Amino acid sequence: MKGRRGLIGVVLALTAAFAAVAAAYASPDRAAAPAAPAASDSALVKCGKTRTIGFMVPATGPAASIGVQQVHWAQYYVSTYNKTHKTKFKLQTEDTMLGAPTGTAEALKGAQALVSNPNVLATAGPAGSNEIVGVTNVLKGGGLGWVSGSSTRTSLTTDGTRTGFMFRTVPPDAIQGPTAANYILKKLKLKNVYIIDDQETYSTGLADTVQSVLRAAGATVGRDGVSQQQSDFSSLIAKIPRDVQIIYIPWQLPPKGQAFGNQMKAAGRGSVKLMGADGLFDSSFAGVGSHVYDTNFPLNPKSKIISGFRKQHGGDGEYFGAPTYAAVQVAATAVDKACASGSTTRAKVRAAIAATNIPASKSLIGVALRFNKIGDLATAHKFGIYKSNGTDFVPVAG
Amino acid sequence: MNWSLFFDLTVSGLTLGSLYALIALGYSMVYGILKLLNFAHGDVYMIGAFLGWFALHGLGGPVNPDFAGAAVLVVMFITAMLGCGVLGVAIERFAYRPLRNAPRIAPLISALGVSIFLQNSALLVFGASFRDYNTFSLIGVKVYHVGNLFFSVPQLLTVVSAICLMIALTVFVARSRLGKAMRSTAYDREAASMMGIDVDRVISVTFFIGSALAGAAGVMFGLVFGQIFHFMGFLAGLKGFTAAVIGGIGSLPGAMIGGLVVGLAESYATGYLPQGSTFQNLYVFALLILVILIRPSGLLGKAVVQKA
Repeated sequence: MKGRRGLIGVVLALTAAFAAVAAAYASPDRAAAPAAPAASDSALVKCGKTRTIGFMVPATGPAASIGVQQVHWAQYYVSTYNKTHKTKFKLQTEDTMLGAPTGTAEALKGAQALVSNPNVLATAGPAGSNEIVGVTNVLKGGGLGWVSGSSTRTSLTTDGTRTGFMFRTVPPDAIQGPTAANYILKKLKLKNVYIIDDQETYSTGLADTVQSVLRAAGATVGRDGVSQQQSDFSSLIAKIPRDVQIIYIPWQLPPKGQAFGNQMKAAGRGSVKLMGADGLFDSSFAGVGSHVYDTNFPLNPKSKIISGFRKQHGGDGEYFGAPTYAAVQVAATAVDKACASGSTTRAKVRAAIAATNIPASKSLIGVALRFNKIGDLATAHKFGIYKSNGTDFVPVAG
Repeated sequence: MNWSLFFDLTVSGLTLGSLYALIALGYSMVYGILKLLNFAHGDVYMIGAFLGWFALHGLGGPVNPDFAGAAVLVVMFITAMLGCGVLGVAIERFAYRPLRNAPRIAPLISALGVSIFLQNSALLVFGASFRDYNTFSLIGVKVYHVGNLFFSVPQLLTVVSAICLMIALTVFVARSRLGKAMRSTAYDREAASMMGIDVDRVISVTFFIGSALAGAAGVMFGLVFGQIFHFMGFLAGLKGFTAAVIGGIGSLPGAMIGGLVVGLAESYATGYLPQGSTFQNLYVFALLILVILIRPSGLLGKAVVQKA
């Protein structure tokens, strides 16, 4: 009986751990009151020839496939910058393991490592909105400003908790969601929509926004969710009503979008239109077929930066990571500006980030990089709409 | 009653359940002999999926394979099963055997360590990107139906292959000399050793077979669901473990039934319960707790009385 009891103990312990993780994820907005910046905020740092930027990214874990795109784009900025400037940059990379059960704890650990290194003057990332909520106190406590290239939850900037510290190079859900919903209603003229989120904050936020716009316009909207780690969608597909005209899947992982599209085809429902969001803006999702749509920030595929990147990465644009290039660019430009006298403080770097003004001609994401008072891009007012031509996404009139 | 939905969910559940059953068999076999929960088993399944993918691409890839699709499939299965079998033997030899006489918590921790080691090694070697089996190009996308029962070739292939493998394993364990040795070792390792059975060899064979089945499940997963990645073994391993416990860990028929029960439960929960797709894992693990509370030894497990 002892063996059985031990086994039951292991099972109950695993279940308790599972429940604890689920409970933690169920309350993503549990941020405590923001901490005041400590002495490190105003500590003078010699800039030197090689300057350090923190970089928080999901290099491993379930979201590593998108994290690696951010890593590539960040490294691409640093390598091209270092080739053309006397001063150099290096990245102190901290793995946040986004999506793993220990993800937020890993992000916190990474934030602490960055804060405790006085040479780190600014940070690019973190990638996920939940992670940002988790690390806010630590980064603020250390006086570090951060620029995220992928966190889109609207309240991150509007709640005022991070003003002056957090900036982002992607427009929030409040812009992307209505763009998608209005295209479905006004251009595609569809009234029967099914929305499936991937249970991550990025996805649920967008899904909620699109759902509310569609319902307000009188559309019939079904809603479901699916784990980001799930690959079997057959039961879910069976459940989707036959009269649904379009399925909106604002997911983060393009291969999952591809798998869903292919399993729709395998279930004989390949004619139902699919629409993704910027997280799925990738040729793997576009390859599902010409019935696939997507929204993405106004990226210019003919940009020299993009062609240079593609050349270095076997022709793959890895577009999800592109705003991270812009995030590192903002951080590096601010550090250079704040280091004009040879030494600086983290507070000065934050002020320099807030005052960023990079013209559209030097910006990868198609608009000038300039922030409003709460840290959002002042220049990005809408998302682009794209349609697959069978192999890649091409812009269509929104 | 929407019969079309019911049949769709049943086919989906049986497909998933077949995969869970194959994984659960590995858990059950190892637990039966060593009383060890081999938490690295899910990651062996992940490695199997990658080995199958490499075999596929080594033979020209799914679009223009060098041989007929059926031959390519056979090579994929053989590669994954042999590779995983060898990996399982190596794991046992280096991570568990040195701890065989240590307190039971030691090999358990070692198993968790091996799991993380395999996950991160896969990330390092294979990269973070998803790999696509592109099954449609290899064996077509045609959907067959018998009345309201719709199924695709990969689904049929998965269920039939899993049944064949389970029957083969059952016959092997019941009829072969080595199978008899496995049963003896599971019953009383010390007595089996005294009767001249090479216990180390039996344990190695057990790991080989269990891991080979997981490798086959990995390939089946790739064929049915399309994509594989380094983290895929974590949840599948937990579900396989759940299936083994529900069926009665240590019991081979129990593992098979447990796998099907978990697969069907997951599928029906997704289709019928409120927010079933979002909370399917909650329902599956709730089922586990329920079964343990009602029948602690699982559906087909036997309560073992130990001397004080």
